[in-house]
Parts: sequence; C-alpha cells; structure tokens
Amino acid sequence: MKAFAYVNATTEKDALAALSKAERGRTLPMAGGMDLLGLAKDYIVTPETIVSIRNLDQTIAAVDGGLRVGAATKIVDLVEHAQARKMYPALIAAAEEVGTPQIRNVGTVGGNIMQRPRCWYFRNEEFHCLKKGGSRCFAVEGENQYHAIFGDGPCHIVHPSSLAVPVLAYGGRFRVAGPNGAREIDAGQFFQMPNQNLYGESVLQPEEIVTHIVLPAPGQRSATYEVRFKQSHDWPLAAASVNLIMSGPTVKSARVVMGAVAPIPWRAQAAERVLAGKAITEAIAAEAANAAVAGARPMSGNAYKIQIAKTAVKRAILAASRA
Amino acid sequence: MGSTTQVPEVQAPAKPAQHPTYPWPEKSRLLGTRISRIDGPQKVTGRAKYSYDVSRPNMIYGRILRSPHAHARLKGIDASVAEKAPGVKALLITIKPGDKVLYPGEEIGALAATTEQQAEDALRMIKVEWEVLPPLANVEQSMRPEAPQVFTPANTRRGQVQQDGNLDAGFKNAAFTVEATYSTQVQTHTSLETHGCVCEWNGDNLTAWVSTQAVHGTREGFAQGLKIPQANVRVITEFMGGGFGSKFGPDIQGLLCARLAKAAGVPVKLMLDRKEEHLATGNRPSAFAKVKAGVSADGKLTAFDAQTWGTGGAGAGSDYPLPYIYVFPNRRRSHTDVYINSGQQRAMRAPGHPQGCFVTEVLMDELADQVRMDPMEFRLKNLPPLAPNAMWAKYFPMGAERINWKSRHVTGDPAPGPIKRGLGCSANRWGGAGTGARAHCEIGSDGSVVMRCGTQDIGTANRTIMAIVVAETLGLEVSQVTIELGDSNHPFAPGSGGSTTAAAVMPAMRVTAGKARDALFERIAPQLGVSPDQIQVGVGSISAGGKTLSWRDACRMLGTVPVSVDGQWERGLSAGGTSGVQFAEVEVDIETGITKVKKIVCVQDCGLIVDLKTAETQCYGGIISGVNYAVFEERILDRNTANMVNPNMEWYHMAGQSDIPDIDVVLVDQPERGVIGIGEPPAVATAAAIANAIRNATGVTLRHIPITPDKVLMERERAGGTN
Amino acid sequence: MSDKKDDVSRRDFFKTVGVGSIATAVVSGVTDAGAQGPAAIGPDEVPITLTINGQRHQLRIEPRVTLLDAMRTRLDITGPKRVCDRGACGACTVIIEPPNDAKNASSGPGGRTYYSCSMLALEAQGKNIRTVDGLAKGNTLHPVQQAFCDHDGLMCGFCTPGFVMSTVALLEKNPNPSPEQARRALDGNLCRCGTNIGVLKAALSAKGVTRG
Repeated sequence: MKAFAYVNATTEKDALAALSKAERGRTLPMAGGMDLLGLAKDYIVTPETIVSIRNLDQTIAAVDGGLRVGAATKIVDLVEHAQARKMYPALIAAAEEVGTPQIRNVGTVGGNIMQRPRCWYFRNEEFHCLKKGGSRCFAVEGENQYHAIFGDGPCHIVHPSSLAVPVLAYGGRFRVAGPNGAREIDAGQFFQMPNQNLYGESVLQPEEIVTHIVLPAPGQRSATYEVRFKQSHDWPLAAASVNLIMSGPTVKSARVVMGAVAPIPWRAQAAERVLAGKAITEAIAAEAANAAVAGARPMSGNAYKIQIAKTAVKRAILAASRA
Repeated sequence: MGSTTQVPEVQAPAKPAQHPTYPWPEKSRLLGTRISRIDGPQKVTGRAKYSYDVSRPNMIYGRILRSPHAHARLKGIDASVAEKAPGVKALLITIKPGDKVLYPGEEIGALAATTEQQAEDALRMIKVEWEVLPPLANVEQSMRPEAPQVFTPANTRRGQVQQDGNLDAGFKNAAFTVEATYSTQVQTHTSLETHGCVCEWNGDNLTAWVSTQAVHGTREGFAQGLKIPQANVRVITEFMGGGFGSKFGPDIQGLLCARLAKAAGVPVKLMLDRKEEHLATGNRPSAFAKVKAGVSADGKLTAFDAQTWGTGGAGAGSDYPLPYIYVFPNRRRSHTDVYINSGQQRAMRAPGHPQGCFVTEVLMDELADQVRMDPMEFRLKNLPPLAPNAMWAKYFPMGAERINWKSRHVTGDPAPGPIKRGLGCSANRWGGAGTGARAHCEIGSDGSVVMRCGTQDIGTANRTIMAIVVAETLGLEVSQVTIELGDSNHPFAPGSGGSTTAAAVMPAMRVTAGKARDALFERIAPQLGVSPDQIQVGVGSISAGGKTLSWRDACRMLGTVPVSVDGQWERGLSAGGTSGVQFAEVEVDIETGITKVKKIVCVQDCGLIVDLKTAETQCYGGIISGVNYAVFEERILDRNTANMVNPNMEWYHMAGQSDIPDIDVVLVDQPERGVIGIGEPPAVATAAAIANAIRNATGVTLRHIPITPDKVLMERERAGGTN
Repeated sequence: MSDKKDDVSRRDFFKTVGVGSIATAVVSGVTDAGAQGPAAIGPDEVPITLTINGQRHQLRIEPRVTLLDAMRTRLDITGPKRVCDRGACGACTVIIEPPNDAKNASSGPGGRTYYSCSMLALEAQGKNIRTVDGLAKGNTLHPVQQAFCDHDGLMCGFCTPGFVMSTVALLEKNPNPSPEQARRALDGNLCRCGTNIGVLKAALSAKGVTRG
C-alpha cells in the first residue's frame, strides 16, 4: 500500500472540510477500513490522504415511525440493537450474514453500503478494466460465474452490499452530507448502473459522505434469504429481501429486491405486481420468483445464477409470509 | 523456473523384515495411547517462533520482482530509481532483455530495504517493459492443433501407453460399458505460513531460518545454488506453518534472499505474500480422463481404456495412478502432459492419488448402477485380495455400519422437497514407508535426555511421537524427554514428504534410544555390581538384581561424562502400504445446487499407531482437505490472459468452521507391521466419496470437481430434473 | 491479447505510483489545523502509543502501517500471524477492548475480535489490545489454550493464535455456546491443516473463561 497522510475527523464538519480540500480521488474517506485497506494493499486505490469517518454518528434513533441509523454504526451494533431487530428482520438477517464476526465488529453500516465491488478483475492489479479506466470488461469473455445476470454493461459487477438490498426493500433513504449541505436520497435513486457511472456505484460525489440511513416504518412482514456457496465466510451467490405491507391476510403492496445479481441492488417490480392483492402461497411465491428473473440476461458462465436468484426470491417471500 | 520436486510413493515391503535389534515392545505403556502434542503450549501461546517470526539484529526486508504476464519477452528494465530509493540496501535483477517469462509471478529480480514498506515502494519504482506474447491459459488452448508453440519441444508430451491383458476380449466380455470424461481441478497448497526465510551471513557461513519440509535438503539446495560448501550452511526450522509438499528446498526466493543478505551485509527476511504463494510455489496438477470401462453381467470388471491428460503448468508433469485400486484385468491407458503458462506443480498431499481415486471411484458407481448392484457390494467384488496393505474388504463393512449404509436409497433421493440426501463411498491406498533417518542421544547425569535429529515437524506431531518412542524405550514420561529437531546441524533425516517421516524417524528413535539405554546400563553395571544384561528399565526407574533405582539416581552414576550415542533407522521397525475407506453423507439443495457435506466416516490403518490422538487429527485434516477438493477450492485462471483471478483466501474457497462435516475416524492398529505414515492417506478418498454421495442424492453424476452449485444445477437440468 | 494497452497496467502504475509516493513525502507533519478542518498527519512516521496485553508501547510508524505489522515488525509481538493480509483468514485476530474496560467489565460492549491486518495501527490507540501472547499467566495456560492442547485443536499451529482469540472472545461473551453458535463465532478463521474438529471440541469444552 502506498504511503498516505491521515485525518481523524470526529465531526461531520471536519470530515467534509478534509474531503473538500484535496483533488478528486486523491483523498478518500474510510470508516471501518476493511474494504479500503484491501483496495489500497492491492493498489486498486492509491490515496494520498485518508480521512477517517469512523468516529461520526454511530447512534440508532427512532424517527417518524422508523429508525435513523448513523452510518458509522458498526454492523455488530446494528445486529445487537433490540429495536432494529424487532422492526427490520430483513435488514438484520442480511447484517448477520455480512462477512465474519471480525468484519462485523469493525465494519460500519455506511461502509457496507459504500464498499467497492468484489469483481476479481477489478480487484486484481493485472487487469486494467473499465472501472479502472481501461477499455474493456474482462468478465465478458472471461471468468464471469459470479458476475451480474441483469444489466447491459458495459461493466458487469454485482453490487457488493448485503445491507443495501433490505434498505431498498424497506424504502430507505440515505442522508448525504457535502460541501453544499445535506440531502436525503431515496435508496432507489442512490445506486447507479455502469452506463450512468462507470467509476463509482452511486451518486455520491468524492467530497460527500453518507452520514445516515433513514428507514421508514416497515411493512408488517419482511425477510431476507441469502444463498451462499460456503456457509462460513462468503459472498452471496444471490440474495433477496422482501417487505410486505399487509391488509389482513392479503398483500397490499410489496417490495422485492435482489442482491448479488446486478451492478446495483435490483428491484423486481414484476414480482411485486404478482404479490399485490394476493395471499401468499407456495404457488404465488414461485410465480413472483419467476417474474423476478424474467428479464435476466446471463453471461457466458452464470446462467445458473438465475435459478439461484429465483430460489432466493421465492424463499424470501415465503419466509416473510411466515414472519 | 521453479523446481519440480515430485515425491514418489515409496515402495516398501508390506510387512517388516524379522529380528530388528530393538523391536517394538510386546506390551507398550505409551505407544498407541492418547498423548497431547508436546509443543501445543508453545503454539497456543504464540511463543512458538516460526521462520516468519524470526527477527535478527539489523534485519531488513526483501521483496521479489515478478512478471505480471503469463507469457512475455523482456524489452527493457530500469532499476536506477529503485536502487536509490529510501532504505534500499540491495537490488538484484535476474532477467535480461530478450529473455522470456512463462508464467505470471515468474521471478525476475529482488531487492531489500530497511522496512517492508520501503521495499514495496522501491519494487514499484522498477520500470519494466514487456513484449506481451499470446499465453496458453488452459489445456484446451494448448492442445489445439493451431496453438502457438510456447514450450520446447512442444506444448504437450505424450507418455508411454500402459497396457495389460487383452482389451478387446475384456470389452467382449462386458455386458455393460460406461464411457465418460472426468476431471479434477488445479489446487494450490495454500500453506498458511508462506514460503520464505531469514538469511544471515557470518563471513562465508550462511544461517537460514527457512519454512521448509526438509532442513537437510534445503541446506543442500542453498549450497548448490550459491556454490558454497554444504559445511558453510545451516538451516533451521523450529516451527513450520504447513507445506503439504510444496516446501522441499530454498527455492528461488531462498537463494535470492541469501544473495540480498550477502550484498546488503545484514540479515534479510523474505517471506512471500499470499498472491505470490498462489502463483509461484506449486500446485496440484489438473487431471482429465476419457474413460471407457466394461463390466460383466455378474458385476465383474472386465476392461478399462483411458486417455488421460492434465497440466502441471509451465513445463511440469501431471501423471497420476489410474485405474485406482480395483482390478481391471484388461486395461490400457495413455497419459499426456499438457503445458500451460502458469506456475509449476509440486508434490501435493498424496500426489496423483486424489485424481486417480476420483476418476475411478465415480466410474465405479456408474458401473454398479449398470449392473444394478449396491456400490459397496460391487466394490467388494472387484477388490484385490486381502493383504496387510490391502484391507479394504474388511474396512468397507466397518464403515458401512457407522454411516448406516443400509439406509441408503438407490441413485436419486425419492424424498419430496428440494433437500436431497445421499451416501457414497470410496477407497484409498498409499505408501508411507521411510528410511534413512539418523539421530543422536545424550543422557546426562541429572537424568535429562536429549534426542537430536535433523527432521522437522511440519504440523504432523513428529516432535511429539519422537518423544513418545524415546520415553517408551527409556521408561520415562514424555515430558522428561527433550526433542531437538529442525536443524541441519543435527544428524541427517530425510525431507517430510510422501508420509515417510514417521516410518523413517521412529525406527531411528527406537534404535538410538535403545542404544543409549544399553550404553547407560554398560556404564552403571559395574557400580551396581551386575552385568549390563541384568538391568531393566521400569517406569522412571531401573532395576537390577532385585534392586530398584530411580532414573535420576541411576543417571547420577554417570558423573560428568554423559551417555552419547548415535543411531539410525533399521529395517524391521516400519513398513509401507496403507489402506482405508471413506463414506460420505451429503445434503444437496437442488433448487440452489449447494452441497452440504454432513458426515464423513473414515476407516484407516497406518501400521503401529504411535499416538492415537494426533493420528486421528491427521485423519481429520486429510478429510477436511478432501472436502475442500470436492466442493470448494480451485485455482481459476482468466482464460484470455492466464492470470489467476482468485489469488487470495476469499475467492479461493476453503471450508470454514460452518462448512466442516462431522467426522468419525476409526484407526485400525496393526502393531505387527511397525510404523507407517498417515499424513496423506486420509486426504485421498474424500472427494470421490462426496461426489458419489451427491450422485446418490441428486440422481445425476458429477464428473468434474469442485462440485460447485452451477455444475449440480446444470447436470440436473440436463437430466430433465425439476428445478 | 490484441490490445496491449488494455491488459496489464503495470507500466501505468510505475508512472503514477512511483512518482506519487515521492511527491507526497513532502506533505508530512502537522500542516493545516484550525478553520480548514482537522490536521493531517503523515505520510511520514508519526508517534503513536499502543497498549498491548496491558503494556504501553511508544513507537513511530507511518500511518499506512497496520496494527499487525506494527506488532510483528516493530514490537516483536509475533503471536498474531500474517497469512492472507486481507481479512479473510483470521490468523491475525486480536481482541480489542474499549478504554477502561478492565475497570468497568460489566458495562460497554466488551472485547471484540478484529483482523489486525485490516486496521491501521494508529487507529488502535487508546484501547487495550489483547493478543494470544498475553493470555497465559506465566506457565499456566488460559482455559481456552489448555482446551486447544487437550483436544488437539492445532497442527502446524499457524492459524492457532487466531482461533484461540476468536474462541476467547466467544466464551467471554457466551460461556456455554451451542455447537452452532461456536461454529459461527469461528467462521472468520481458516485452518489449512484441517484442525477444525479439535478446535470445535476445544471451544465447546473450555470452562472457566471470564472476562479480562
């Protein structure tokens, strides 16, 4: 890893001041550091200054029937937060499966949302891929078994955040602070496809930071189902989060979001339409799951992920219905 | 290019010869009991110092410059900036313009600097210009007729055809045949302690703390590579963090480290990082087999015809034993080594056997289904005759009992729902004989016993079982014996490969301790007023002519001059040839393709068991490596550049705690055979047993490992399964 | 590889990294405090204080130095191992406790496990860092260490310090874990020899583990 200067920002104002000074890309914010230090060790990023934002707001507070989670909240603290556990089971289920105990102890909620992709072409220095300013995506004609089954490219990463999936399912928003003040951005508008933004994965600007995740009141039933190759430390092959607003035994409206299948958390509105107005049965869940993957466009080596994503959606719906 | 140490399976008689000078005791006090590892306390407290942990006064840090390309020709290299970079004390370039590199990670230079960070910074200041050449990234690319010729004399090397019996007649007698292609992947050793060393010169004498499986072999390697006398080299490996067959010499990094230390005039530590480890320190070759096999209507194997190939990387071999264990009276097999632009293979935990076992054992289940026989009964019908080193016919029923084989359904779990359960079995064999170890034993007047032997403990509990044999022989407790190993200044012992260490070293322990005991008796007999042959060891004591003395009191009679004897391996105390069987129980989720290995049963022998506790651990370890081979791990090369895409411990999948099955080990004691190694045998059969269990669960045959979810789903879909 | 420019970026890195690391060396020390925001330190060596196994160490390190490397290469604390250096294997696992945790053992989140390879040394200041080296009291092993020995939860021993620390953290929080809880608590550690069976037995049998 290249040498860097270090700023310990203890307030939002300090963090923004430190981030505003430097040229783009030369100064990077760091929370828990799991992701950024890995990137730096692999020379994928070579910041001249790192601004630590790990000491910013780490509180979880009730707001407007929902919760407002400080981005610097450790994942383990979210997992152990009684109210969060009660209100947002889909988020907690995803959080419990992030990485390993050691990663959850240091990793933050904001860091999980903002971590860079795990694509092995992105992560290995030998491959000067699109995301790093190169002119091709090596996955297209290469080893793409873990890559995206949705999206038109030109880059085919899957979004690495497990927490972003339930956050989107709950209709959450991100509070973003920058030199021109703070704003809240709907999770559905926050993430960007590679054809909108090749070098990043969200609308966040280099001099901005995510300070809070704002979760509205959840539906009565919600769940996350994650399919992993290894049951110990691994990334999901596919995951799905489902949030159901019920009217008695009937689904009034639903949010279905898939993870690890596209460059962004992938909302499956076709599946949501299947569920709306119905009581959940095995058959309805299967129909919704089929609808969720109907638009999939697999690459040469990852068509199998369609089946896995479908299973994740079906099982998440059924788990939510039983929740 | 890296070295290609292929440790052969040692051929040795299945039974020891008669009348060794110091035979194993009829009734043992310690042998075969459960004794805790004597270096456990050092390892659990962090006090055990590995080569990676060694720190010497004024020590600096080395890093290696490597090719980022699989195949390229050097156009130019400029290290002038790096040479003057902060902290840099020595720099070597080992490539010149026009030279070619043949795999990613090939060594082209090295430097050393005061801190690790400075070394890394400086390495990146070396400007290298390459002419990138088309690489061969997999066997298909190398075997294409139109493939560019990358290797000399050719990209492939065809071995001799092995033939026995009458193949045509064999197939004529077959009622059924199976024709299929099988494959196994490349796996890397992934030792947790990476390769590397600390080198320190004192004038013309080199001391090297090396992470190695062979302190004496490494001394020889340093002497040859540096062109200095072996007498000038001392190699020390007190503790070692795993090797699995990949650490038999100084390798290039060791020689570069020594040269850097010489140039810098201070000790240099050069340990590889994880990526270098994956790229350039060995791997298990891949194996492919296109097989046609026949079986008679009554379930006897009749014929086996196979074309096989595989890659051991850039210019290294890939052969493996095939068919494995079972008796095919008529057979033919030809193997082709295929070279690709990747790091070279090295011996890896039972070289060749997991490949040959997987191909043969999966084929066996397919043949059994053809003749509608229970797969275990089918195996029993086609095994070689029962022998001390071929006990499968006895072990299969033992394992079947423990896995509840009678609960096995026919191929394809009929139960409703997505979770399918299945059982499978397979068999293994290995050599495990060893020779040649020497040792030196001293008994002091305070009763202390020091045994010195230039062997090494790579995690197998060698140190512990050495102490057990010495303590057993001298009537002492294990804690009363000091074992000194891992030093090339100690008497010669062979490298630890091929599961040969126990069979090489334990006889040397028995003989040397026996000779020391006799020498002690010789010395004290006059003072006791008896003849030496009237003295016997008790427990912490000796007795003679009705008198009993404590060990301490007996030793006190030695005075200033200790007992000091040399001894060595003798015939009759160890043997070779082990057999074992394994059974697997799996659950496969056919909606996701994910396999959960629930249980493995292992029935295994290793001759005379020295320490039951650590021998069982060896079995657990081998089995877990087999689980990884079956389901998880694989070196994945980008098919266009031949660069490894998963040179880490994240995408190079290995089982974590939640992925580990229950494991039930039955170790069969064969004390009459003497000591035989156990490191490798249990690693052989697991993958095949798991593959067969997955077949039994899902109804589809998985002929290619690792059995990742995509393969299960694809085979199910091909078979018209309900996904 | 038709388009050479695409494939391998090594030369590009020489252009940027090589020059960059020299250029940034100028911007060291405390430069711009006050209204501009908090001060930047480094990239040259800065003084830090680490409390490891109850002992204070003062040293000078570059901000980029990880806790693991600071312990191993500057303080000769070599229990924690460097294996993957990317937070995937757990051999570098340490327990870090919030300040004054020893005094208020009943409050706060208590000690948690961390990958010391993936944490900057300067961020570990002001807390008590516990490594495997500090567990035993003289020659008396910690109950977890003793259990690892008794159940042979180790072979080559290179993963052992990390597994021991993960087990200690688990049992300090939950002295009677179920097998499932123990497995999950140990999922952040990898073993290559395959000692996991002994490790699990050790985790489930170690008794008398108390905080501190």
